Amino acid sequence: MATSKPQGQWHGEDSEVNHLRGRAFEATCLAATAFGLVSVLILLLYVAKDAFRPFTADAGWHVTYLVTVLVPLAALAVYYYRLDDPAGEVAYVTSGLPIVGLLVTGGFVVVFSELLTVLEWFALVISIAVAVGVIVAHGRLRPNAALERLLVVLGAPVVTILGTPPAAFNRLFNDITGALGLGIELNYQVISLRQAITMLPFAPTDWVMLLLTLVVPVATGAGWFVGRRRESRRDGVAVVGLTTVAAVLGLVAGPAIGVGVEGWLLLVTFTALPVGVYVEGVVRRDEGTAGLAFPVVAVLGALVGSVIVGALGFAGPETWLDWGFLTSAHSRTATDAGIYPAMVGSVMMIIVIVLSTFPVGVGAAVYLEEYAPSSGWLGKFVTLIEINIGNLAGVPSVVYGLLALALFIRIIEWPQGSVIVGGLAVGLLILPIVIISSQEAIRSVPDSFRQASYGMGATRWQTIRQVVLPEALPGILTGTILALGRAIGETAPLLLIGAAASVRLAPNSFFDSFSAMPRQIFSWSSELEPAFRHGVLAAGVITLLAVLLVMNATAIVIRNRYQRQG
Amino acid sequence: MTQNEMSNESTDPTPTADTATSSPDPSGEPLVEQSIDVEGTGEPTGSTGKPVIEARDLDVFYGDVQALQGIEMEIPEKQVTAMIGPSGCGKSTFLRCINRMNDLIDAASVDGDLHFEGKNVYDDDVDPVALRRRIGMVFQHPNPFPKSIYDNVAYGLRIQDQTDNMDQKVETALKRAALWDEVKDQLDKSALDLSGGQQQRLCIARAIAVDPDVILMDEPASALDPIATSKIEDLIEELAEEFTVVIVTHNMQQAARISDKTAVFLTGGELVEFDDTNKIFENPENQRVEDYITGKFG
Repeated sequence: MATSKPQGQWHGEDSEVNHLRGRAFEATCLAATAFGLVSVLILLLYVAKDAFRPFTADAGWHVTYLVTVLVPLAALAVYYYRLDDPAGEVAYVTSGLPIVGLLVTGGFVVVFSELLTVLEWFALVISIAVAVGVIVAHGRLRPNAALERLLVVLGAPVVTILGTPPAAFNRLFNDITGALGLGIELNYQVISLRQAITMLPFAPTDWVMLLLTLVVPVATGAGWFVGRRRESRRDGVAVVGLTTVAAVLGLVAGPAIGVGVEGWLLLVTFTALPVGVYVEGVVRRDEGTAGLAFPVVAVLGALVGSVIVGALGFAGPETWLDWGFLTSAHSRTATDAGIYPAMVGSVMMIIVIVLSTFPVGVGAAVYLEEYAPSSGWLGKFVTLIEINIGNLAGVPSVVYGLLALALFIRIIEWPQGSVIVGGLAVGLLILPIVIISSQEAIRSVPDSFRQASYGMGATRWQTIRQVVLPEALPGILTGTILALGRAIGETAPLLLIGAAASVRLAPNSFFDSFSAMPRQIFSWSSELEPAFRHGVLAAGVITLLAVLLVMNATAIVIRNRYQRQG
Repeated sequence: MTQNEMSNESTDPTPTADTATSSPDPSGEPLVEQSIDVEGTGEPTGSTGKPVIEARDLDVFYGDVQALQGIEMEIPEKQVTAMIGPSGCGKSTFLRCINRMNDLIDAASVDGDLHFEGKNVYDDDVDPVALRRRIGMVFQHPNPFPKSIYDNVAYGLRIQDQTDNMDQKVETALKRAALWDEVKDQLDKSALDLSGGQQQRLCIARAIAVDPDVILMDEPASALDPIATSKIEDLIEELAEEFTVVIVTHNMQQAARISDKTAVFLTGGELVEFDDTNKIFENPENQRVEDYITGKFG
């Protein structure tokens, strides 16, 4: 019976089980992970050292900022970690939100200084509002006239927004039909409401237009959000009123702090408003209020530090990454060189990528998850498509560059190295990633929601529109933002479509030639002068990484919020 | 003092539960027609509503597997019809045939006729979406949408474009589902914050808000605790005054308590016996049914 049982005690030395292989496996995995992380970290430190050159600063400078900024912040961080957990999150958000807000503000400043005038923006917003108003009003007044509605839905935007298509659109349409040999020429002449507004002999001043079309709508959105969360209309109205008052104050305050009235308006809308709403929420809930101290201490510390440094005459580091680097163009002398035009180029490229990839990617994902048949001959075909989308995600980026070169430059004959070609090339590259991550998000919507909706007599479209998409949207956004992070760093397709090595002026339209941040960095790497290869290049890399980090942080915040609700 | 409070709290739930369950007919809707019916008596042996759903030789297959064979059944109007039977006997499948929810499963195929108000629902000119707007459904697990309580009840009204008087309709539906008193101050709150039993009553409110003719219930109380279950049961008896209710249940006592007619399905997808509930539970004709009900087989 139990003859084969080992003799002796079940505990103690002679009964120990051998864990050696498991331990060895564990240690190897840990070492491999650590090696990868540590080597990237060392590289980044090295690059950061080149970009900021901390050792060119006086020791006194380091000591001053160590005492005024780093030590207090570290103490606060330890305090949050040990004693006050919610305050840690508050500190994280109140420090991050202004940074994201400032980036968005900067984005709008770039848009208004490079892409369109305030008047054009004003006309665009007014005509979009009119178009939406007409369509909604028609739906209310004549809900049953389907054909008429189609005409209104198609016609209203043309009359209000498009009008005679911009020359570029006409050219695009004619080029495509020409290339396909259809022989249709698009050449109609309608002056839209938008164009009429831009042609008016009189116009409100810039700040009034911005106030009406940017500050008030955004503030109304925030007010609606606050009013709904708080179940108090008055609080919502208060948000709108306070924001507007703060914006109007800019008439005096803007010029005083040197950002101009328009700059002040953008700051109020995109930085002060979100931060204010968040801070007010924290104070009202009285949870983690201590976290608000973190950004305050950081700013105060920096101010005190700069006063001390100025008084004692300590020299700061001769950093490559400074305000001048961010706002000037490439130059032959390393100290004057900057990344501004490339940054604008990257931003415009991202706009093209988002506009082209997001609708197509999400649409494809919705089709594959919700509409596509899963059995029979067609089902097999769909499976084949899904497998190939997975394969496409693995196709090297150089190949996409080649595709864009052949398709957009050789066949459609768009200008070589223009923003739209670059954006579409990289857009094609991340399209499979957007499709796959959107599919995942849609698949994770519980089937019981769909069943409930169909059981109520909803059509498939109603179910998708009202139940599936709202539930999947955070996941879709997270995936898309991460994919955009990949897109902004892509270099190889830009080389193939002939993006400029460096441009002096930021592109003014989507058909201008441009350079993007990674392309600019690549061209700096082949400059002869060592200052470019070490200093300027490092500063460019840090800028690119900072943009990437902000995008990833946004994705993480969206995901966390989503998980908390679910 | 604390003890007082404690005892207060501990005795409190019972009366509230009582008042909530046996709340008098809250509808107040002028839905005339036949209104004096089943309620309370539970002995409707004589009453025979005209059949609203008729199955004629209905077969259902999942791929090669036959889930239902030759079902013949007439479900009477404005009564509770229960379907009982062991797991996998096809009773849920039959329920999902009535509003064509089986269409959503690619592998399912249906033979035979299933008439709703005299029209075969599997005819080519029947739009399953339109059919489901007449036949509401409540599922086994409460599945409210991740929206506010109000938006959940209003969902059907919105998708069916019945948006006039919406506040009134939402209130009426919540009252009929005996949920109004518990949620009237928090209609903006997420439906997912409600308890399981409240969620299921919300799902019932959602189904009746659009005023369907028939309500199908697929084991609506099987995921709930006994108190929530008894509330749902009371609710079903009340609903039968205005709607035709078809309910699938695993719980034989539940079927005996609330239903007017009972159908017994047994393994293999056969409908073995279908008759008045009293008859089925007191004097079944079929020996297998008697064995199943008395627990000898199952």
